Amino acid sequence: MTSAADFHLSHFQAMVLFALLISIVFGFLSRRRTSERIKYILWSLILFLLIGVGIGWAMYPFSR
Amino acid sequence: MPDEMTTENAVSASDSSSEPAQSQPTPGQPAPSGPLQVTEAVAFAIGAAGWIVPGLGHALQKMWGRALGCFLTVGALVFLGVGMRGNLFDSEGGDAFAMLGYVADLGTGSFYFAARALQTGGSDVAHAEGDYGTRFLAAAGVLNLLAALHAYEAARGRKA
Repeated sequence: MTSAADFHLSHFQAMVLFALLISIVFGFLSRRRTSERIKYILWSLILFLLIGVGIGWAMYPFSR
Repeated sequence: MPDEMTTENAVSASDSSSEPAQSQPTPGQPAPSGPLQVTEAVAFAIGAAGWIVPGLGHALQKMWGRALGCFLTVGALVFLGVGMRGNLFDSEGGDAFAMLGYVADLGTGSFYFAARALQTGGSDVAHAEGDYGTRFLAAAGVLNLLAALHAYEAARGRKA
């Protein structure tokens, strides 16, 4: 046994989970109303994913 | 949550109404300092509580949604980071980056020690998962520090 729980996630799954959890904290801290929080969380999540995929795509030519 | 909003408004309203030290002092009279110092100490204690237990700083101010959100998300990040066998830095780091990582990991407060207890097999950063886990743990600490700072500022009546 290596730890209490072992997770095997792909790069994309790890990025989506990371972006989702960070967006949730940002949304809860920066907005008060539930509807505003949901909008902020979704907007932040989409930006995280788009920028993450964009940076990965831009780095692809240098990966080999 | 409408009920939380009203609670937060009530808290900030009561804070501002019971805060005579924040009003402008009359010229010629010394600025009152006693109540302000007490408020500062309480706000600092609330911020410290939010650091030690994620979400506690907001819970003490009856901001239940934020408290639950911080607790669950920071806890999830730590749990995932440990499960992915991320590197938990300790105080005996060899360089500045290791110390920086230690400070970031310590940002999770009591969850840092829970993570050390959970990660019985040590870290494994030779694989991408372990590297991601290290980022998850550091991000959890930095987020919790941000939440603790937010709780401190809210207790001072600056934002909520």
